Order: sequence, then C-alpha cells, then structure tokens
Amino acid sequence: MNRTPKMLNSKVAGYSSLITFAILLIAWLAGFSSRLFAVIRFESIIHEFDPWFNYRATAYMVEHGWYKFLNWFDERAWYPLGRIVGGTVYPGLMITSGGIHWLLHVLNIPVHIRDICVFLAPVFSGLTSISTYLLTKELWSSGAGLFAASFIAIVPGYISRSVAGSYDNEGIAIFALQFTYFLWVRSVKTGSVFWSAGAALSYFYMVSAWGGYVFIINLIPLHVFVLLIMGRYSPRLLTSYSTFYILGLLFSMQIPFVGFQPIRTSEHMAALGVFVLLMAVATLRHLQSVLSRHEFRKLFIVGGLLVGVGVFVAVVVLTMLGVVAPWSGRFYSLWDTGYAKIHIPIIASVSEHQPTTWFSFFFDLHILVCAFPVGVWYCIKHINDERVFVVLYAISAVYFAGVMVRLMLTLTPVVCMLAGVAFSGLLEVFLQEDSSKRVGTAIHTATEVDETDDSIEKKTLYDKAGKLKHRTKHDAQQDTGISSNLKSIVILAVLMLLMMFAVHCTWVTSNAYSSPSIVLAFHNSQDGSRNILDDFREAYYWLSQNTADDARVMSWWDYGYQIAGMANRTTLVDNNTWNNSHIALVGKAMSSTEEKSYEIMTSLDVDYVLVIFGGVIGYSGDDINKFLWMVRIAEGEHPKDIKESDYFTDRGEFRVDAEGAPALLNCLMYKLSYYRFGELKLDYRGPSGYDRTRNAVIGNKDFDLTYLEEAYTTEHWLVRIYRVKKPHEFNRPSLKAKERTIPPANLISRKNSKRRKGYIRNRPVVVKGKRTLK
Amino acid sequence: MSKNIAIFLALSALLGFFNANAEIVNTNVERTLDLTSQLVKTTTRISAEDAAGKAIAEYVFFVAEPSLAYIAVKDSADKNVQVRKNDEQSFTFTFPKASAKQTFVVETVSSKGILPHPEEIRQNDKQFVRYIGNLHLYSKYKTNAQKATVKLSSSNILSHTQVKPYSVSANKITLGSYENVEALSQEPLVIHYENSSPFVTVNTLERTLEISHWGNIAVQEAIQMTHTGAKLKGSFSRYDFQKEGRSGQSALKSYKTYLPASASGVYYRDTNGNISTSNMNSGRDFIELELRPRFPLFGGWKTQYTLGYNVPSYEYMFSDGNKYQLKMHLIDHIYDNMAIDEATIKIILPEGCSDIKLSPPYSVSRLPNELVHTYLDTTGRPVISFTKSNLVESHISDFTLYYSFSKISLLQEPLLVSGFIYIIFVITIVFLRLDFSITSHSHKD
Repeated sequence: MNRTPKMLNSKVAGYSSLITFAILLIAWLAGFSSRLFAVIRFESIIHEFDPWFNYRATAYMVEHGWYKFLNWFDERAWYPLGRIVGGTVYPGLMITSGGIHWLLHVLNIPVHIRDICVFLAPVFSGLTSISTYLLTKELWSSGAGLFAASFIAIVPGYISRSVAGSYDNEGIAIFALQFTYFLWVRSVKTGSVFWSAGAALSYFYMVSAWGGYVFIINLIPLHVFVLLIMGRYSPRLLTSYSTFYILGLLFSMQIPFVGFQPIRTSEHMAALGVFVLLMAVATLRHLQSVLSRHEFRKLFIVGGLLVGVGVFVAVVVLTMLGVVAPWSGRFYSLWDTGYAKIHIPIIASVSEHQPTTWFSFFFDLHILVCAFPVGVWYCIKHINDERVFVVLYAISAVYFAGVMVRLMLTLTPVVCMLAGVAFSGLLEVFLQEDSSKRVGTAIHTATEVDETDDSIEKKTLYDKAGKLKHRTKHDAQQDTGISSNLKSIVILAVLMLLMMFAVHCTWVTSNAYSSPSIVLAFHNSQDGSRNILDDFREAYYWLSQNTADDARVMSWWDYGYQIAGMANRTTLVDNNTWNNSHIALVGKAMSSTEEKSYEIMTSLDVDYVLVIFGGVIGYSGDDINKFLWMVRIAEGEHPKDIKESDYFTDRGEFRVDAEGAPALLNCLMYKLSYYRFGELKLDYRGPSGYDRTRNAVIGNKDFDLTYLEEAYTTEHWLVRIYRVKKPHEFNRPSLKAKERTIPPANLISRKNSKRRKGYIRNRPVVVKGKRTLK
Repeated sequence: MSKNIAIFLALSALLGFFNANAEIVNTNVERTLDLTSQLVKTTTRISAEDAAGKAIAEYVFFVAEPSLAYIAVKDSADKNVQVRKNDEQSFTFTFPKASAKQTFVVETVSSKGILPHPEEIRQNDKQFVRYIGNLHLYSKYKTNAQKATVKLSSSNILSHTQVKPYSVSANKITLGSYENVEALSQEPLVIHYENSSPFVTVNTLERTLEISHWGNIAVQEAIQMTHTGAKLKGSFSRYDFQKEGRSGQSALKSYKTYLPASASGVYYRDTNGNISTSNMNSGRDFIELELRPRFPLFGGWKTQYTLGYNVPSYEYMFSDGNKYQLKMHLIDHIYDNMAIDEATIKIILPEGCSDIKLSPPYSVSRLPNELVHTYLDTTGRPVISFTKSNLVESHISDFTLYYSFSKISLLQEPLLVSGFIYIIFVITIVFLRLDFSITSHSHKD
C-alpha cells in the first residue's frame, strides 16, 4: 500500500530511512536489554533443562569439531543404551553459536562458548524484530512494520523463550520462521526465483533449527491452496511455490535428524499434495488457453476428480503400507487435546504441553491480543495475495496456541504483526495531516507520522524526553475532518495503552520469565536481604568432583540434562524422553519398595540416586510432587507391578502424612526424600518432620536405608544424593523367625523309594494311653 | 649452569674438608616443633662451636622431614644466612661472618609430615593424626645438649614416644634435655594426637597475571584442592552436619583468602558459574575474602574453583623510559597454613614486549615461552611461565620481571579498531554504488 513514494525528494526519503533505522536499532537494543534481567540478577548462566543439553552439545562441537559432533555417540546418556546425538538433534542452534564462536576466535576475541550461548537468544531477538519489520512492511506498510518490530522486541510471549541463558531452539527459530515468511511473501509478490530460493534457504535454516519447521511446510502450502481456491492463481505463485517446495524439500532432507521424513511422514504430505495440485492447475490453465471451453470443462471435472481421489487413495495406501509414517503422538495431541492424557503420559506430564488458559493469552500478549483481531479485519478488508497468508497464519497460530502453551510462541509474531497493522491503521486515521496538502504525499506522511509516533512509543519506554510528542499534537490539531479534541484524546489513549503495554511487558519479563531455575533467590522477610539458593549447582558440582568419572546417576528424567551438563556424569534417562520404557523402568524403581528397586538398580548398574526434595524450604517443584507421573508412566509399562491407585488413600487423596497410602510411605522415592527428615525440626515450636511443601507432618518418620546410603545432601536439603551399596556392603535384612526356612526345592533326597523311611530296630511303638509292648 | 657446576665442585671440596676436620660441636640445640596444623614447622636454635677453636664459616644441616618445602636460616644478628642445597635432605649454610662460635636459627616448613591415623573416619569422629620424626636433631655433628618442645593442636594425645626426661602440659610436650647425642644418631619420635584442623592441599594452582599497559593487571588463580586428612568413611549426613556440633570437625567449611587492598572486580567461580557463597571484607592493608566451597570438604573430597581480580598496575609496575619492571607476588595467600603441591605461574605481557628477564625469589623451573592471542592481538602476547612444586605460605614473596616496551605500541589497538571500522564504511559505500545485476532496472520496485 505504501510504496516508497517516487515523488518525494531524497531528503525526506533519507529522514524516513534514518528513522526506520533508528527505531529498529532501538527495538533491537530494547529487546536485548529487557532479556538481561536474569544475567543482571544472577549471572551469565544457562537456564532450565533443555538449554543445558544444547549447551553441552555446542561445547562438544566447539571442542571436537563438526564431523565428530555429527558422529557423536553419547554414552553418558540413557545408560546403558546411549544416544546418537548427531542424528537426533536439530543442529542449527549449535552451528549458529559454534559459528559465532569460531568467527570471534579467528578475530582473536576469546569469548567463552557459554557466554555466546547465553546471549544468543537476545541477539537473535533483534534479528527477529527486523525480519518482522520486513514481513509487516511487505504485508501492510513500513509504519505497521515498525510497530510490529517494536512489539515483538518486548512482547512476553516471545521473551519467555528467548531470555539470556534460555539457550533453546526457539530462540533462533522464531527469527528463521519470520524471515522465511518474509522471503516467501516477497517471492509470491514478485514471482522471482531469487526470493523463493532465498525462502528455501531460510527454510533450510529453520529445519536445521527447530522441529516447528513443520508449521512452515504446512502453512505455505495452505496459503497456496487457499489462493488457488480463491481463484488467485498466477504464474508468480507457480514459480515461487515450485521453486520453494523443491529446493526446500531437498534442503530439509540434508538434516540428519529429518532425513527422509519430508517424503515419508504425513506431516509433510500436504506440501506435496499442494505441489501436485498447483502443477495440475498450471497444466489446466495452459490447456485452457489451448482447448475450447466445452472440452476444457469436461476435462477439468473428470480430471480434477480423478486426480483428487487418486492422491487421497495414494496417501492412505502409502500410510497403511507404512511407507508414509503415521502421525506422531505429539502431533495428535495438537488436534485432540485429550489424546496425550490418555495415551502418552510422558507428553502430558510436561507442563508446556498443556492447553493454554485464556489468562495466559493476556499475560503474554497484553493489549496486542485485543488489537490483533482489528488487524485481521483490516487485512481481510483489504485482501490481496500476501494478506491471505497472514490471515491464515493468524488463524492457524491461534488454534495451535490454544492447544499447547508452548505454541504461544508461534502465535506471538503474527499477533505483533497484526496489532502493528491495527495501530498503524488507527493512527493513520487520527494522525493524518491536513488533507489539503499534496495528495501524493498524504499517504506517505501518514506513514511517516506513524514512524514518529512509534518513536514516541519507544521514548515513553525509555524515559527519554519526548520532543516529538508536541509535534504530533500539533499535527493533529491541523486536521479538519475529525475534531481535533477527539483526535488528541484518541491519540493520548493509544499512547497510554502502549505505555501500559511496555510496563506490562517489562513487569512480566522481570517477574515470570527471568529466573534461571537452577539458582533460586528469595528475599529474607526479616532483614530484606536477598538470599540465593544454589543447591542444584552445589549437588551437581559435588557429583562432578567427588564421584568416579564413570559413575551412573539415576534421577527422574527432568534432571538428566542438568546432570550431564553440570556434573558430567552418566544418566539413565534425560529430557530427550525418546525411550518411554526406560523412563518407565526408572519410574518403577522410584515407586517400588527399596528391596525391589535395588534389583532394578543393580540391573541398571546404578551407582548414585539423585532426588529433589523441597520439603525443607517449601520448593514445590520437587520429586514428591512429580511422583504421580512416575507412577503413571511406570504403570503404563508395568501394569502388574505398579498401580496408581495404590498410592492414593481410600478417599483418593495423595498424602504424605500418617494417613497416606502404605505403598507411598514405603516406596523408594518417599524414603529417599524423607530419610532422616523425621528428626529434623524446622521450627522450635513445630513438630519434627514437617514438610513445608505439602504442609504435613510426614507419615513414615523412623526408617533406615538398607541398600543405599546418603552420599550428599545439599545445604537446604533440596538435592539429595544416595549411593547404592554394592552387594557385599550391606547387612542383609534379618528374616522373621518363621520365614527362616531353607527352601526344600534345592534338597535332593538320597533316599530311594525303598528306603523312604528310616527306622530303628526294636524301637518301642508308643501309643498314647497304652502300655508299651516289649 | 656453569655456575652451578662451580658451586657443586666447591661444595664437594668443602664437604671433603669438613669430613676431614669434623670438629664442630653443637653446644646447645633448642627445637620447637609446631604440629598444630597440617604443616610441620620447626624452629631450631643451634649454638655451635668448633672444638679446635677454628672459625666456622659453613655448617651442614640435615632435614629429617621427607617433604621439605621451605628453609630459612638467620644468625644471631637476625641476618639471613646463605643456604645451599646439597640434596633433598642436606643443606650447607654459609655464615656472613666466620667465627668460632655461631648461634643461628633454622626455620623449616614441610608438608605431608603429619598423616591421619586412622586413615578413614566417620563423619562424627575426631581426626587423629600421627607425626613421625626424630627425637634428636639429626645432625652431622655431635650435640652436647638438646631439648625439643612440641606444640600440638589439642591436649588429646593418644600416645607419644616416651624417652625420659619429658613432660606434658596441655597441648605441649617438652622432650629433653638430652645430653651428649652422637652425630648422625637417629631415634624416632612418634606422636599420635587429635588434630581437627582441615588438612587441605592445593593440588594444582595456576596463577595467571595479565599485564595491561592501560593500567590494569588481571590476576586469575585456578585452584584444585583436596582434603588430604582422614577420609570420610560411610555416608555423609546433612542432618548430623547441621545439628551436631561435633560432626565434621575436620571438614573444611570455609576459609579466608587475603587479596591486595587495591583488588577490585573479584570473582569466585567454577565451571558451573559463580559460587554464591562468599563474603568480602575490605581492610586497610588487604581484602579479606571469606570463601566457602560449594560443599563442605570432607576427607578425600575434592573441589576446584577460579578466583580472579584486578589490581591497578601502578602499584606493581615501575618504568624507566622503555624499560619496565614488574614486581609481584609469585604466589599469594590462599588459606592459612596452605600447602601447594604444584604451582604454575603465567605472566602475560602486552604485545611487543622484548628483552624479557625473570628474576624469581627462589629457584623455579622455567617453561618455554608461548604466545597467546586475545583481544585485538596481531602478533600475540608473550607469556612467561614457570612452575614450582611444594610451596607453603613462606613462599609468598615477590618476583621481578624486567622487559622493555615502547609506548607507541599502545596506540596499535585503537588504530586497529578505527581502521577496521573505516574500511567497513568504505566497502559499504563502494558496494552500494556498484550494480551487480545482470538485467536492467526497469522493473525494480
């Protein structure tokens, strides 16, 4: 809509690009710095769970080189199975930070790889906002683009996955996603092979970075499909899609983890189908120009039906034959939110796979979620090829975001774009300059005012004196169409909203998304000082220093990556969760009695067991609170041995106090969590063994461990590590007197059938009440 | 090298001489053995005279402890006496003034002389250690009278060698005096007593000093330490550790490190990041840093960490034109009564330094020079490195490094940066004015 006006002189164009450049730069800086809360409050450290694996893999790649990394068989994970890392990761993240590391070291800048990993996501957020600007500019106007860029720089929905230290695929994938879409829209617009090849390359980067590339490879075909239905076929579309699809397909198959999936799994079939369809339409179009109208209509109906049915049947048959793999479980849970809960507890147990609450839409997007439908409406009202795309993007992303909290991330960019469109449209109306000016520049000035207004928004963000504010008011007063009072009221209201948005974003980022989660901080209520709970690192460092290098540590899978990353020890299960039965085995060991789990642990060569226990400090994310998932997952694989109902009281409650179910009070997890906790008095007045997390006095206080011994417990008891004793180290538990029998099965009687009974010759036969006979 | 050979020749000549005329007699020897920590610190006051009335210029002294770290001798006027090492156990002192009667004080510090016995204890047990040494001064010469005072860390003495006369008072054992002990006579002294001080050894210390002529010296110490006392047997119980005072007495919970008073930007971290359990108190003459390892260090447990800080260079660097002189501690205080097995010191000088000469306070083994490339380096910075094993607190003393550096080189890095940015701008300007397309621009939007 707002093409660069050719009529304007170069001076205005220069200012305009200067403002654009400045705003994008400020957006980059704002996005970067608002992601630094965690670094400033704590330190430059990798957060949470998955980032630790990514960091470890990156460090491995930097140390050993790319080819070693591709062939890396990690024997420290999934003991005794191991994990082929090179073939089971999206290497884009590691390549990106490894590449940056290499470049910096070539320039003799000795930055530690950890710092690159920590700051990668904040740096990429700037790139994301630039590509969002470009995409929105293609869709609407550069003013809307600047709005969108500023929004996405600070919107919590995206920050949640890209704070400093959150070194995860999403951090770079959103940039790749937006940039691919930008190139795609560009290529649809121009029909140029150059842009669509660029889109394919960017898609390649996306495939290498994140499993969410499936979203692209379904959305773009959907776009093409809808355009076809709408009768918006053009040779430009043919060029761009066929180039993009073929190149993208070939590129994506170069990633070892993806391999042949793009031609074999159902997720990718839509793209192929649309490609075939597009070819068919193109052929028909060509035939249309050759054949007569009647002939063509006949051919179209018959041929169309045949092809449609043929493709459908082929897909079904191929799926049934197993050539095309059926949908994966995580994918099913996209369509049926109840699917995972019933069939795959391990997916359902992850909090980020839960359906989104409406509250979190507002929490993550704030005012944008209200402005976003306006943007959609604007786009639908002024529909064209590329706006069809953004509308589809919006609709599908809204759906997915509703299914899974995690996919809020894919919704955020499109919400920012469309909210940008909405705000830009609003200000276009209310900030319009005097209409008596040159018609040709009117649109442009609106854009320009947009931009200046956008910079005001930025200014309010950063407490700089807003000099331009007066100018905009002044501009508004000049208008004759709408009363100037109304205009200034609306503008002020909008500015207030944007300011509140900025405040909200900063608040959410600071409070909700900036905790590294391996270091906890709390404020002392008495003297107001800030205390740091560093128990996780304490325990992991203890493991790394004071256990044998090949020691195997059993813990619940949540802590697998952290143990591997920080303690550098072998784990049995980790956050990769590729082998459900192995996880179930660990779950079974945790939920069985000590004796039974000892058998499992010896069969798995476990040396140490690590449990997280929050009862002393009231940390709610500990293993006892996760325990039901362990039971459930174990029950899924070992329904004979583990039953979830055993762990509930008769009234169906999960309690750890004296009324708790006996199976719970005697299982390994309970014992390891509460070992010697029954003696501990947290308060002078309170009872001993009072669990602060579950607000109960524990039910089983006095017990000893036979097969394990406490190896280390951290300062606040948050992490407890136990050593599994070797068979010769413990005294076998004493048997009760009546059980002390030698099993007769091993006894082989020397007596044959003849000498079954021993007898003594001349032995008197005693019969009660009778005299013995001599 | 040739100097050493000369000394050696002179030494053997002298030895021969003294062997032939072994007429020195120790008239009185007073020994003080300080066994309160993990180190064996001895102070031996020797009064020697020559039976024939000749002037004593040199004196041969034997050290009984197997792992001697430090030796220093002072004469009666409190002047340093030159010490020459013959081999691991024997030293020759050369007095500044030869006279018939010499009184001097020998101080030695040796590590690994006290060993835990039993070697493994439970968490709540006390740590008992055993010292095995010599009852008499192991001397090349006859001793007329000698006396030894042993200071222990506690009055809880399980056993000790009982050669009369001796007396025990609280944590002190006085042995002797013993009269007329023949030369080279050896009689063992064994003391088995409670010593709850943590026996912590620094296995490796890697100290890096990075000199910048912009006014800063960055010091970094990478330390790997082990608790070498009695090993922890059985399980560790956090409950006992928190609730019972007698639990884990010999464990290392925290210790103090002293840094120079001008130190700033102190960091204390390990491979997992910052170790959040430390306190810093600034004193007038030094900064006291209270370090707590991530976990209490029990017997046999290990930990490692990195401690770093910056000091302003004007306190340590002196210049005369292009000639510079750097004077810094070779090692610095880590904890009281420390014992370092192996220290590697690296000094990174600015790019373009030449004529580098090192003068250490005691003999060290030099490692080959290297080049290191950091920020904005082109040719690389020269690195001087050397190692020294078995160090104790008494080794904290200054080395001096002489080198020359032209001040013009300081400008190299700013020029490099501005040149680089300039080139980027030029390239951008040229690039934007070139046209690489193969078609005409009629359809450009």
